[in-house]
Amino acid sequence: MSTMTKSVRNKKPVNWGRIGSYLILIIFAIIYLGPLLVLVNTSLKTMPSFMKDATGLARELHFQNFVEAWTKANFPKYLFNSLIYTVSATTIYIITAVFVSFPIARNYVKFSGPLLTLFVIALFLPPALIPQFQLILNLGLYNNPIGYIMLFIVNPIGIVILVNYIKSVPKELDEAAALDGCGYFRFVWSIVIPLIKPAIATVVVLHAIGIWNEIIAPTIYLTSEKYYPITRGLIVFQGVYGSNWPNLAAAVLMLTLPMLILFLFLQRYIISGLTSGSVKG
Amino acid sequence: MAYYFGSKRSRWTPYLLLLPGIFFYVLIALGPSIATSVYSFTNATGLKGAQIDWIGLDNYKEFLFMGQAAKDNFAALGRTLIFCFFVTTIQFGLGLLVAVIINQNLKGRNIFRTLYFMPVILGAVIQGLIWSLFLFPLGGPMARILELFGAQSEFLGGQPAEAFAWVIVIQIWANMGTTMIIFLSGLQTIGAEMYEAARIDGASSWQVFANVTWPLLTPSVNTNLTLNIIGSLQAWQLFLVLLGYRNGTQVLGYLIYAVGFGQTSGSVTSSFRQGYAAAASIILFLLVLVIGLGVNYILKRREERIMG
Amino acid sequence: MFKKMYSMLALLMVLSMILSACASTPAPSTGSDTPEDLTLKVLVHQNPPMVAFMEEFNKKFEEKYPYITVDMSVVNANDLSTVTQTRLTANDVDVVDMFGFANAAQPYMSQVDAPNWQQLIDAGLLMDLSDQPFVKNYDEAAIQDAGTYNGKVYEINLGRVSYSGIYYNKDLFTANNVKVPTTWSELVTACETFKSIDIPCMTAGGKDGWPIFVGAYGLIGSIYPDQEALVEGLWNGTIKWNDAKSLEMWEKMQVYARDMMEEGASGIGGDAAPGRFASGAVAMFPGGTWYGPAIEEAQPSFEWGYIPFPGSDNADDNKYLFGKYDQGWAVAANTPNKDAAMLYLAEFSDPENYQAFVDAVGFIPTQPTAQLNTAIGKEVAPYLENFRVGYEQYWIAPKGAGQFANPWASYFKPFGTDDDPKVLADKVQADLQSGLDAVK
Repeated sequence: MSTMTKSVRNKKPVNWGRIGSYLILIIFAIIYLGPLLVLVNTSLKTMPSFMKDATGLARELHFQNFVEAWTKANFPKYLFNSLIYTVSATTIYIITAVFVSFPIARNYVKFSGPLLTLFVIALFLPPALIPQFQLILNLGLYNNPIGYIMLFIVNPIGIVILVNYIKSVPKELDEAAALDGCGYFRFVWSIVIPLIKPAIATVVVLHAIGIWNEIIAPTIYLTSEKYYPITRGLIVFQGVYGSNWPNLAAAVLMLTLPMLILFLFLQRYIISGLTSGSVKG
Repeated sequence: MAYYFGSKRSRWTPYLLLLPGIFFYVLIALGPSIATSVYSFTNATGLKGAQIDWIGLDNYKEFLFMGQAAKDNFAALGRTLIFCFFVTTIQFGLGLLVAVIINQNLKGRNIFRTLYFMPVILGAVIQGLIWSLFLFPLGGPMARILELFGAQSEFLGGQPAEAFAWVIVIQIWANMGTTMIIFLSGLQTIGAEMYEAARIDGASSWQVFANVTWPLLTPSVNTNLTLNIIGSLQAWQLFLVLLGYRNGTQVLGYLIYAVGFGQTSGSVTSSFRQGYAAAASIILFLLVLVIGLGVNYILKRREERIMG
Repeated sequence: MFKKMYSMLALLMVLSMILSACASTPAPSTGSDTPEDLTLKVLVHQNPPMVAFMEEFNKKFEEKYPYITVDMSVVNANDLSTVTQTRLTANDVDVVDMFGFANAAQPYMSQVDAPNWQQLIDAGLLMDLSDQPFVKNYDEAAIQDAGTYNGKVYEINLGRVSYSGIYYNKDLFTANNVKVPTTWSELVTACETFKSIDIPCMTAGGKDGWPIFVGAYGLIGSIYPDQEALVEGLWNGTIKWNDAKSLEMWEKMQVYARDMMEEGASGIGGDAAPGRFASGAVAMFPGGTWYGPAIEEAQPSFEWGYIPFPGSDNADDNKYLFGKYDQGWAVAANTPNKDAAMLYLAEFSDPENYQAFVDAVGFIPTQPTAQLNTAIGKEVAPYLENFRVGYEQYWIAPKGAGQFANPWASYFKPFGTDDDPKVLADKVQADLQSGLDAVK
């Protein structure tokens, strides 16, 4: 029966739905690509040519910008710091966030409701630059990578995403696993985490990008040059009376690369095709 | 709620594992924010050794009632709500549309998905830079496109309403990628067999969407609506990089940033006014809280109705 | 079982306290005669030519005093005051670069917050430099106007910049037989001539707003040459932004914004304006002396000149250049490296080093012996005797004043929303008055 219906549908001469889908995707692609190409174009211009005609086509293909950006912004030196901060803060954050989100989503702890509300409220909290600074200072973690990493192990957005996602994992799974003698930690660690990979991948990407691109926090919290992340290096291209945009654009394109790779790598978890239907058991 | 993983001692495992997350949250986020609210009743400068006086509600009175500046603040509040409404609805709608399309088994979907997500990776400063160039009125790409139709525009330098509309467009362009991937991850929870079943019943694409996808997507809908509303109410970075401090375009988030960093007007005077900046941010907090919790309440009721 | 949770929490608290107690133990300072190795921490804002000069200078300084290592960190100009605040609080800096040391709160201003440099001094965070010999290297006016508070010197200022001038394209002026304007009507005529032959008259970074304001500075300056008195007059009500004198200023500002600026100027960013001018397509570019190097960089062979903005029909009123004091050095009051910090400033203030600094950044010098060697320096040299500090360096707006309480040409279309000088003048005064009334 089902095969029959299917084959009938497949015989349709023109698949308008598919064509319409591509049309929409392509229109959006143009809207996204246009401005992004401006960035690439800028990165290939010389400074004088940029000053004269900022948006004209870069005929000179000045790849030298990438070399200059690499050395002037101190990429080799700062890139490593950025990686350390991003990887460690994201790892700690994700682990703590899963163990916060799961019991809240499942009502396994008392006051789950109020706790979730507390995290939702945290989304709205006013910026607290100076008190936060005084906290880190009094903890003796000012100008210290540990203090800096600490700033990024809290992010209520991830909790909200995870809690909402975990709700779609059937509760019967918990019961079945427990009956098999699986402990709480092991259940969360080896059963829940794989099941919520799409949500974890999403949160990892968003959180890591936030740390990677952060510029104000390192300016305030890390004053020794040896601790600088790479965003701090980009400052050499800026100036009060005008910036070196071609160098900056080249630096940004290089800076973006690791996050782009992360996204490309993780997107297979974010969208793993329609095969992960097992969630709904 | 039933708990299956043992009783007595092991009943406390979830609490123990929950603790680090809660502790850091209280220490790093909640604590300093509470300190901010205390600051808002003082004339604190944030400087070591400076005198701090308790001044009651003066900061709040200044922000809400003092002279023309207070009226300007309310105008900014109005703009914030307009910005929030347009950004939330459009970004939500487009993000959903794109996610549903990409979730099909189309060729090249990886490329499209990555492309739409690129602005999120770039961050606000660069988003601002590339749009400033893209919208450069003298021979920039967009100006040339308009030229083909015999039109021209000053874009970000146009009248405040026009400039403001462009910021809405750019904000959506910049953040739709986030909305999209949250929807995409949500779509993974809907098993193939659900679609299969619907198709067997001979449902059209629209019926599949309305009866299967949309209700089962409820958790992602909630996440996205909440994040979009909050993100747009607190937005300030794009305003800073695209427009600067321009009359008739400021929103509350930017106003607070400007006070906090002393960039309120053409006067070069910048003072350390942590107390006042704190009061302004508490006011924004309360606004976001009321709207955010209100929407959350509605979403929760809806979720209970749908998901049971 | 809640006990367990609490004890856990308490444990974590104790741990973090121990951590903080251990880490914040200060290193004891020794008072021996032989100088020990030390690191001098210097904070500056990002300005590429200045940073390049400083790196060179630091190298030489370290060679001269091998026991001192200079650790200079560079932050964005926008973040300078915040980072100054946090680093002074953390006692993590010795020498700081500061902006805007000019507008102390005056007795006639009620309920205003002191500007941040004044707050820093009041909080006891900056060192008194009055008795340092290097202070004498700078001209008295600079030390007095941009360094002294309550009779003590807290900052040495490193240079002035002017912003009330116009860059003009020499080739376009000669080729079209246009006289370089010295009065307002000559300026109007010049613009009309250029426009009649399809050459845009002026460009500016209108998207950022303030370049339009500083461009028209000559219009305010020609009416109120004494800008400090202007500020006092505005505060005590003897000068109003909608009185007859001001109305004339608004009318001229409208001509400037509407007729003189090229089409599209409201979409050009401050960054892009010098390049637009250097491309040779536009006759004039009102703007600050700091644009000089950018114009040169964009088009080294381009011929340009710089004149004061002629705001008045009486040429004698137009000979002033208005501007401000730019950055200066101050020292943290609690620095453990006071001697090294003083050596650093003394070395910097050495006339030879200072000359190299001014040549690098293009400031108008504050040391009387220094020369103006840069292209823009040569242009402004004839007007230096008439250098005046601009009004907004003294101005502190009353709390409650509206966002239109400034004399900005950018309120006019196409930059703003207004097109009637009288209506606008009334709105500006009302916005200011609202603040003045609120703080009475």
